[in-house]
Amino acid sequence: MKKKFLGLIVFLLFFSFTNANAESFKIGVVTPPLSASEDEFRGGQKVSKKYPDMIKHITLPANFSEEQETAISQILSLGSEKDMKAIIICAGYSGILPAIQKIKEKRPDILVITAPIWDDPDMMAKYIDLCFDTDWLKRGETIPTKAHKMGAKTFIHYSFPTHMAKELLSKRRDMMKKTSEALGMKFVDISTPDPQAGSGRGPMLQFLQEDIPREISKYGKDTSIFGTNCPMQDVIIAKALELGFIVPEQCCPTPTQGFPAAMGLEIKPEDAGDFNKINKMIENKAKIAKVSGRLSTWPVPVGVFFPEFSVEVAKGIIDGKIDKKDIHQISETAKKIAGVEVYFNKMKPNLDNYYLIIMDSIYY
Amino acid sequence: MQDRIDIPQIIIIIFVLIMMITAWFANISITYFINDSLIRLVMNGVLVLSLIPMLNAGVGINYGLPIGVVAGLMGMCLAVNFNIKEGLGFILSFLFSIPIAVIFGYIYSMILNRVKGKEEITATFVGFSFIYLTSLFWSIAPFNNPSMLWPIGGEGMRPTIGLKPYFEKILNNLWVIEIQKIKIPLGMLFFYFGLCIFIKFFFKTKIGIASIAVGENETFAKLSGIDIPKIRTLAIILSTVIAALGICVYSQSYGFIELYDAPLMVAFSAASAILMGGGKEGKTKVTHAVIGTYLFQTIYILSAPIANELLLPEVAEIFRNIITNGVILYAILYKNQKNSSSI
Repeated sequence: MKKKFLGLIVFLLFFSFTNANAESFKIGVVTPPLSASEDEFRGGQKVSKKYPDMIKHITLPANFSEEQETAISQILSLGSEKDMKAIIICAGYSGILPAIQKIKEKRPDILVITAPIWDDPDMMAKYIDLCFDTDWLKRGETIPTKAHKMGAKTFIHYSFPTHMAKELLSKRRDMMKKTSEALGMKFVDISTPDPQAGSGRGPMLQFLQEDIPREISKYGKDTSIFGTNCPMQDVIIAKALELGFIVPEQCCPTPTQGFPAAMGLEIKPEDAGDFNKINKMIENKAKIAKVSGRLSTWPVPVGVFFPEFSVEVAKGIIDGKIDKKDIHQISETAKKIAGVEVYFNKMKPNLDNYYLIIMDSIYY
Repeated sequence: MQDRIDIPQIIIIIFVLIMMITAWFANISITYFINDSLIRLVMNGVLVLSLIPMLNAGVGINYGLPIGVVAGLMGMCLAVNFNIKEGLGFILSFLFSIPIAVIFGYIYSMILNRVKGKEEITATFVGFSFIYLTSLFWSIAPFNNPSMLWPIGGEGMRPTIGLKPYFEKILNNLWVIEIQKIKIPLGMLFFYFGLCIFIKFFFKTKIGIASIAVGENETFAKLSGIDIPKIRTLAIILSTVIAALGICVYSQSYGFIELYDAPLMVAFSAASAILMGGGKEGKTKVTHAVIGTYLFQTIYILSAPIANELLLPEVAEIFRNIITNGVILYAILYKNQKNSSSI
């Protein structure tokens, strides 16, 4: 009883201390609403629970492209608050930069971190203090390398014409092909029925269900399968549990894509969003299905990681603990939040405040 | 006369035959093809069968198929929520979804009976708006089985729910016999043809005959004292109920319950299939639905592997779209031609 009481006092003291410290300034976090993107929204919620008095979490309109003016005025309203010292914007949209320019004109002292927004990189680097994004293209190299490490001899890439018409995705496919061939893996490019061709995603998913067993009987278990479309992941992972092939990463690397549905994970409301627990559950299910070591992904979704990480960086910079030019200090912070190594690469060699990240993986 | 094979069916059959020959030359395994085509026939076939009552009662093609589908999804979610597994879970999803489908179908029929003559376009929009309305429902529905909730937020339903621990492939794996690597899912086929026979007999009953009369000639039906709104309502409810069962069959075979906007386009492939089989307003037979589903799904099964084998993925996609949509267009044109010539 005494111990509990003492613990409570220590906790209260600690809490009031951090609280007092936090009250001196505010950080604004901007994310899309839940209906537009679950990850970023929950990431924003998570960090506002962590620092309830410091964070002001606002959400952009659901259809951003049609209500850009509303979005800009929302962001500007954050800049007009006196004790606001930093603004974090985690919304993969283009067209937000004008709002940041206006804030910087009025309040040059406000620290702005974007993770990510998609405007012109050179202009962004000029006005924004720190820009972060995921290194989508680089994954064309990291994914086959990882698959090779996991024992793959063949690399299958499932996609369809409308996806391959997107520059980034087709470039990544080419990079995967190059990397696979350099590592001595056979690269197989398979086209599925197009989910955007009128009949929806049903035919694509049915095709995957029928085609994966065919390919595995042709190339054997040491085959790695990658699909470029989110709904594909449920089927790919479910089939991996059945047939034992390799899934190095989903299209959006996170434990919450594909795994929950394919494995029937029972995530209780109190465990929801607790990635340590979710990762443990996946590991157990993989063990039961005898596919340990055949599945991998990033331990935390980038959408959830970015808001918390950016707030910690902003807080560090404001408290004078982090130098915004020192990428080592920043990557240390990232490691603490993600629980694994996070690699930062410059977006362009001449920009020293625009970084693209690749996270280390978790193997189930 | 009614059973005559029309030009569209001939085109499609020729197309399928060409694909089969190409598949033969491209060394695509014929056993895989047969196994998959039988499963797909039943998996999608029940949804296609659900169009028949409405078509025959003159309400047109049920583009509001998502309404019945949602009823089925709700039934399955209830069964999963109460953690009822295996065959019992599957049967209970049927039992849960039927009353929901009856209620939905009744409300749906009130809408369609108000817009006589414009049922198809109305149904399309009713279907679309209903999907988004239910998206709202899914995100706040008070289900509490942890395997159905959002993994990060912990409330609301996941977009896809795995059926593996519940009743995945329960019908697919019922009484499967294997003859030389060809697996025949007898349980699934019995269920499907049982339903076909049920629908066939329904149209032999008094109500069934009355509904065909309404579909063929409304004025005549009215003069013979048939209560037209009642018959139409019954047909719409029956269509909705069969659609609800259809999605249960589909989901157990697919292995996942798909919520939110997944069923948005479900009506269009079903409509393509029935038109491809030669279904016409007031004159659709069960055989039309069966043949249509088989041909439509066979094109899907064959086109993707052939395209990949010949390294022409984009071209195959375009060809399939031209032919399948072209046939629908032909069916609609042909229907109108008939109407105008009969006037």
